[in-house]
Amino acid sequence: MSENPYVSYDARILEVKDLTPREKLFTLRFVDPEVGERFDFRPGQFVIVDLRGFGEFPISICSSPTRRGYFQLCIRKVGRMTKFIHRMKEGEVVGIRGPYGNGFPMEKMEGSNLILVAGGLGMAPLRSVLWYAIDSGKYEHIWLFYGTKAYEDILFRDEVVHLLKHGEAMNCSVKLAYEVESPSCIYLEKGFSDRVCKGVVTDLFRGEEFDVNNTYALICGPPVMYKFVIRELSDRKLSPGRIYMTLERRMRCGIGKCGHCIVGTSTSIKYVCRDGPVFTYWDALSTRGLI
Amino acid sequence: MRYIKLPAENFEEFFNSLKAWGKVYGPVKRGNIHSFQEVQRVKEMDLYYNRTMLPPKKFFVRPRDVILRLKNGKWENGVKNEPFVIFGVHSCDIHGLKILDKVYLDEPADPYYKARRESALIIGISCTPDEYCFCKSLGTDFAMDGFDLFLHELPDGWLVRVGSVRGHEIAWENEELFEEVTEEDLANFRAFEEKRAKSFKRKLSKEGLADMLDLAYNSPVWKKYADICLACGNCNMVCPTCRCYEVCDKWLNAYEAVRERRYDSCFMESHGLVAGGHNFRPTRLDRFRHRYYCKSYFDPSAGFNCVGCGRCDEFCPAGIEHVKVLDEVRGSLQ
Ligand SMILES: Cc1cc2nc3c(=O)[nH]c(=O)nc-3n(C[C@H](O)[C@H](O)[C@H](O)COP(=O)(O)OP(=O)(O)OC[C@H]3O[C@@H](n4cnc5c(N)ncnc54)[C@H](O)[C@@H]3O)c2cc1C
Ligand code: SF4
Ligand code: SF4
Ligand code: FES
Repeated sequence: MSENPYVSYDARILEVKDLTPREKLFTLRFVDPEVGERFDFRPGQFVIVDLRGFGEFPISICSSPTRRGYFQLCIRKVGRMTKFIHRMKEGEVVGIRGPYGNGFPMEKMEGSNLILVAGGLGMAPLRSVLWYAIDSGKYEHIWLFYGTKAYEDILFRDEVVHLLKHGEAMNCSVKLAYEVESPSCIYLEKGFSDRVCKGVVTDLFRGEEFDVNNTYALICGPPVMYKFVIRELSDRKLSPGRIYMTLERRMRCGIGKCGHCIVGTSTSIKYVCRDGPVFTYWDALSTRGLI
Repeated sequence: MRYIKLPAENFEEFFNSLKAWGKVYGPVKRGNIHSFQEVQRVKEMDLYYNRTMLPPKKFFVRPRDVILRLKNGKWENGVKNEPFVIFGVHSCDIHGLKILDKVYLDEPADPYYKARRESALIIGISCTPDEYCFCKSLGTDFAMDGFDLFLHELPDGWLVRVGSVRGHEIAWENEELFEEVTEEDLANFRAFEEKRAKSFKRKLSKEGLADMLDLAYNSPVWKKYADICLACGNCNMVCPTCRCYEVCDKWLNAYEAVRERRYDSCFMESHGLVAGGHNFRPTRLDRFRHRYYCKSYFDPSAGFNCVGCGRCDEFCPAGIEHVKVLDEVRGSLQ
């Protein structure tokens, strides 16, 4: 066992699955069972993937801690490191260190309604929340509002369609907004006319009311999305303390040393890797530059 | 605090005795610049220096640092403890190290920093401020801890404050070199400190500073200075509390690679850049302002992230002065 927090542990790729042309789902397990046993995380936390000799990058855990023995990462191919891992095959080994960050306060939200608002790749960390909430059965009702570009870009499409069909039995309502029209989307829209529409994720709020005293919103998406989603929620008077969002910054160390993820001003400085990546909207109101 | 006296005639012998601990680094003058270098003899040092270009952080957070070595697909740890002495550290730099301690020793501790910190013997020395120093405004002009021994100049030697068990042991091993402190020594010590306190020329008004600066987020003063700034990052390199680092893997041959850390600067465009080209601090104004906010952040348990050493002023090619920027930003509020 290494005492050095920068040293990663071997994890074997059990499965690689194409989710979309740009994103792949990697299912991993630690080679040392003892390490795997100790590896416990909460939805919203992330790991640092170590391609030894090539570099490291942070990725959210997209599986739920309720499903043990493995963990999953949904990785979009955007550059050098992510291109490298996209070429890796089942059976190969990568380094993993973590989990890092605070994650969502799942215990605190027990018994409440959850509104998950995902935009694009933001679906990855929220999928961990989604399955945690469904598996544990400790939440009143779960909504998933998911905004995607096109049918091909829907992450975890099988799961989303499955929940569209059978979600209510699991206390979960799914709504989907797409931007680019295609026969598949139109077909979906026909099947679920009240829950699938052309538009952006904020359009899914239209006509929705919810009990603001018993609801939490959890948001993850591209930087531009936060402002608009928060406006919808604030219009309905959801307290800034009940709005959680997970943020992205350049990260190197993941443990509050390298300084890259620092945001804020002289009155409030936050490290996104250590104090976040999950913040409340109240944090954003009191810390400039967070969103 | 325990006080003892080191008479001037024993100074050299005391210095030489430190070599038993490990390599000794002290302030050396090269051209117009002082820097901490390995020294063998007292006369190689210039103890009446104002500031070194790089602060002592260079011993703990190195400008370039190989942290891991890859052999047969596994990382090998490069954590080493080699005892060394930094001789002649000023009070502000001791405070600078304490701020770095907060970051690097906070759990999970950085093992490289921790090992080096544990193997370093810190010998402080008193100093006289120049036109750039404003440590007095920040309360960093005097160190109450963070050193092993601190030497204060007296007319006939040094008043030594013993700041740690290790410092005590070192003094003990060289017992014959030290004397008891006399009333006269204490009077001289007081006179020196009082004279020193009066000789500060630059002052930072820190009352309500953190709030004032935050309120002045949109002040045109930020822009005025960001336009002059060359974004060279010098101020980051020389600052005793700046600590951002970048990480890079390098192959040495087909089988071996190293993971290296090196100083990074928040003035660089890449500092806040993430995948897909999105930048969280896209303009020079964003980056300039960020550094001032980071330095002026007030941590209730550790104070400001600036110790008033004046390095950023002395080594800024654009002649930007830290206190002046803050005063103007604050002034622009009315
Ligand atoms: C907390 C967190 C969670 C994330 N979760 C996911 C996820 O679930 N799925 C996913 O696909 N992506 C996720 N990302 C983004 C992912 O880290 C970047 O896409 C990845 O680092 C890009 O690396 P690259 O070398 O392929 O890209 P390049 O564009 O080639 O990167 C250039 C350089 O910038 C660095 N870099 C770029 N973006 C980031 C970044 N955001 N953080 C740190 N370094 C960066 C790279 O390491 C590289 O050195 C997450 C980022 C953060 C901070
Ligand atoms: S900001 Fe300037 S004066 Fe303050 S500690 Fe850093 S270099 Fe010294
Ligand atoms: S040293 Fe001066 S010019 Fe260079 S980045 Fe700092 S403020 Fe700008
Ligand atoms: S990623 Fe290094 S400080 Fe946050």
